[in-house]
Amino acid sequence: MTVFPLKFRPAAHGQVLFADDAGGFFRSDEDFLFRYAHDHLTDNDNAFLLRNGHAFEEAGDLAYAGFEYRFASRLYAPGPLDYVILVPTLRCNLACGYCQVSRVNEHTPGFDWSDETLDAVISFLGGITTPKMKIEFQGGEPTLRLDILKKIREFCRSRFDRCEFVVCTNLQEVSDEVWDFLGLPDVFVSTSLDGDVATHELQRTFKSARTAKFVENLDAAIARLGSDKVSALPTIDARRPPEPASIIDAYTSRGMHSIYLRPVNFQGFARKRYDARASASAWNAYHTRFIDELVEHNWTADVPAEEYYFVHCLRRILRAGHNGHVDLRNPNIVGHGYVVIDHDGKIYPTDEARMVSRVGQFDLSMGDVFKGMSTATVDALNQEASNNFHPDCVHCTYQAYCGVDLVDDLSRYGRIDVPKHETDFCQRHIAIFDKIFEMMYSDDAKVRKSLAIWAGVPNFDASLARWHQ
Amino acid sequence: MIDLRLEIDPLPIVEPLVVRLRDTLASCETEHDATLVEANGTRLEYDYNGFSLGLRRRGNESFDGDVILVFPGQRTAHRLIRSASPHNTFLVTEQCDQLCVMCSQPPKRHHADLFSQFALAATLAPLKATIGISGGEPLLHKERLFSMIEAVASIRPDIRFHVLSNGQHLSRDDVARLVSIGTERILWGIPLYAADGSTHDRIVGKDGAFDKLERGLAILMKAGALVELRTVVMQQNKDRLGDLADFLFTRMSYIEVWAIMQMERVGYGRMNWASSFQDTSIDFVGIAKAIDISTARGISVALYNFPLCSVPGQYREFALSTISDWKRKYLDICDKCDSRTACGGFFEWYSHNEGFASLGAL
Repeated sequence: MTVFPLKFRPAAHGQVLFADDAGGFFRSDEDFLFRYAHDHLTDNDNAFLLRNGHAFEEAGDLAYAGFEYRFASRLYAPGPLDYVILVPTLRCNLACGYCQVSRVNEHTPGFDWSDETLDAVISFLGGITTPKMKIEFQGGEPTLRLDILKKIREFCRSRFDRCEFVVCTNLQEVSDEVWDFLGLPDVFVSTSLDGDVATHELQRTFKSARTAKFVENLDAAIARLGSDKVSALPTIDARRPPEPASIIDAYTSRGMHSIYLRPVNFQGFARKRYDARASASAWNAYHTRFIDELVEHNWTADVPAEEYYFVHCLRRILRAGHNGHVDLRNPNIVGHGYVVIDHDGKIYPTDEARMVSRVGQFDLSMGDVFKGMSTATVDALNQEASNNFHPDCVHCTYQAYCGVDLVDDLSRYGRIDVPKHETDFCQRHIAIFDKIFEMMYSDDAKVRKSLAIWAGVPNFDASLARWHQ
Repeated sequence: MIDLRLEIDPLPIVEPLVVRLRDTLASCETEHDATLVEANGTRLEYDYNGFSLGLRRRGNESFDGDVILVFPGQRTAHRLIRSASPHNTFLVTEQCDQLCVMCSQPPKRHHADLFSQFALAATLAPLKATIGISGGEPLLHKERLFSMIEAVASIRPDIRFHVLSNGQHLSRDDVARLVSIGTERILWGIPLYAADGSTHDRIVGKDGAFDKLERGLAILMKAGALVELRTVVMQQNKDRLGDLADFLFTRMSYIEVWAIMQMERVGYGRMNWASSFQDTSIDFVGIAKAIDISTARGISVALYNFPLCSVPGQYREFALSTISDWKRKYLDICDKCDSRTACGGFFEWYSHNEGFASLGAL
C-alpha cells in the first residue's frame, strides 16, 4: 500500500489536521504524525488511510484512479469566452471614498464609448461563437448610458441562443426608462448596500436625502423585480465596520439572504485614501465575527442567511470541481473564459487588471476591440498562476481548496514573488479555511445547523469531518 | 399495468419481424412502417408493404409510432417501443453470471440473439429517445451489443442508451471503442451494494465480483463514461450505506448520480423478500446519512422506486418517480393523496401486507 503525501497543520487541543493533494482530509493527533513521519504506520492507520482515499494498493486501481479524478477535477480549466464585462462609461453620479473603479465625475467628457467603440465592441461580441453569453455592465454608472445598454442587449439577443445581462448600478437615480430596462426578463440588478443604512451614507451617499433616495430605489427594485433578480454587496471598511447584526438585518429584512462581504479594495481611489495594505488581520477578525453572528441568526431565523464567499470556500473544501468563482481558482487562468472591455475599448483579463493598468503599475491589457485581442501578456502571467508546485503552497494543508490571485499580488506588492504567507490573499484564505475547519469539527448544534444549510444538506453528518485515532 | 404484448393475427414470416405502426400513410418514412387502414372495434388492420397485419387493442389505445417485434407463427407481438412512453427497454439477453438476491429478472441458460432486430427497432424510435438495454447481463454479448450501438449511432445519432450492466466484462482495450461510440451516448447503470467485497459478493451471488467490478469502474472512468451507480437497499446492506457513500466519493466522484433503490417484489426479489426487503418507511437512518454525506460532497443522489410518503419530508426532494409506467400501480390510500402525480407509486407486484409499515396520504 502506498500513502499519498499528507500535509498537516496544528489544530485546536493538540490535534493535527491532515490533507492530501486531492483535498481529502482528517484530523488526528501528534502520535499519528510521529508514526507517519517515521514510517511506523500501524495496520489500523493503513486501513483508515486506504478507506478514506489517502492511499492505494497499486497504480491504476480504483482507489488510485479515484484520487486522480478528484485531484484533476479541482483544477480549473477555462471554458470558451462566454462572459464579458463592459464598461460603457467611467462617469458616475456618486463619489464613494473608496471607489474601486477610478470613476470620473458625471459631467466629465471623454470617458464614454464613442460610436466607433460601440461598433467595435459589437463586432467583437459578434466574433464569439458560444451559444450562451453573460454580459455584465459596469462603470462608472452604466445606466448613464442606457442607450448603449439597449443596443448591446438587442445585438446579443440576435446573436446568442441564451443571454443574461447584469447591470451593476448604484440605484441612485433611476428614470422610468431605466426601470423598464431593469424589468426585462433577462436583466438582473447588482448593487451596493454597505451594511446598514448609516454606514451606506457614511461611505457612499454622504447626504441623508441621497441616502433616502437610494433606499427607496433599492426597495422599489426588490418589490418590482423580485429579490431573486436583485443582488447587493456590502463593501466593508474593516477599521470601522458596521455591526454584523445590522448588516444581516438590513439584508434579510429585504428578502436578500446571500450576503457577500467585500473588503474595501486597495485599488483605484481607495489606495489614495486608505491603508488597506496591512488590513488582513482586521478583516479576518471581522469576518469571523460576522460568521458567528450568522450562526446565531440561523439558529432561530425562518429563512437562513449565508455569507457567499464563506459558503463558496466551505464547498470548495467538501467538493471537487467547485470552480464557479473567479476569485478562487487554481490554476487561475485569466483572459480566456471572461474578459473586461474598458471605456476606451481596451480589453483586460479582469476588473482588477484594468485598475492595475489604469494606475500605471503594469500594462495588463490584452489589446483592444479595434485591433483585436492578444493573450500574450496574460499567458505569461498564467504560466505562474498555479499553486500546485509553488514552493510556498506545496506544503500548505489548504492548497487543494485554495487558489492564486497574481493580479492582486501585482496590485498590492508590484510583484508576484512575494512570499505567499506575507500576501493579503494568503492571509485571508488561511483565516477562512481555519475558521471552516474549526466549525466542521465543532459539536455545537448551532454551528452544525448553519453548516448543514450552507453545505445544502438536511444534516451536516459528523463523518464529513473525520477523526483518526 | 400496461401489457407489453399485443394479440395479432399470425403472419406468414420465417424470420422475426420488426414493424413500426403508423396511423397515417403520410407519417410512413421507411419500408418498416405499416399504415393503419381500418379500425373495426378492437381490431386494427394495417397495411405492411401490401400484406395485411391485424392486431387487437384494449380500449382506445393508440399505437402510432410504436415498434413491435413479431415471431414466426406467434399470436402475440412484443411492443419493443411505445412511442408515447419514456420507458422503453430491450431485454437483450437472459443469460447472467450473477445470482443477485433481489433480481427481478432471473437468468436463463439459453440466449436468443435478437440484436439485429433491436438495432432496427432503435432506428425507428422517436426523436431523441433513450432506450434501456437490460438483461441478464448485456456485456456477456459485448461484441454484438457494441456493434448494435454503433450501427444505431451511425443512422440515428440522436438516440441514447441506458445500459444496465454488472460492469465486470470490460477491459482496457474497450476504452478506445467506448470513446469512439461517444461517451454521451451511453449511460451505464451499474450496481454496487457495499464498499466491502464480501458483502457485495454475497448479495450478487458471485465470488470475486467486487474485485472485477472495481476494475470495470476504473475502466469506465478512464473512458469518461457516464455512470449511474445503483444500490438496492436491503437488510443485507442497510447499515453500510455510509461506508458506501465514502467509497463512492473517494473512488468514484465521476459518477453522474448515485441511485439508491427500493426492491422490486418479483423474481428472486419475491422469493427473498422476507429476508431482504428493508422497510425504509420506518428506518431511513442509513439512507439519510448517505444522502447527507454525498450531497455535501457534490455527489448527486436520487431515490428510485420510493413512494413519496415512505420518505421523511426533508429527503422527499431526492425521491424521483422512476417506476416504469407499464408496471406501476397505486394503492387505495393514494386516492386521497395530493402528491400522487409527483409520486412513482408502487410496483405492480408490490404486496402491501408485506410492504411498507408507515405510509399515508400527503
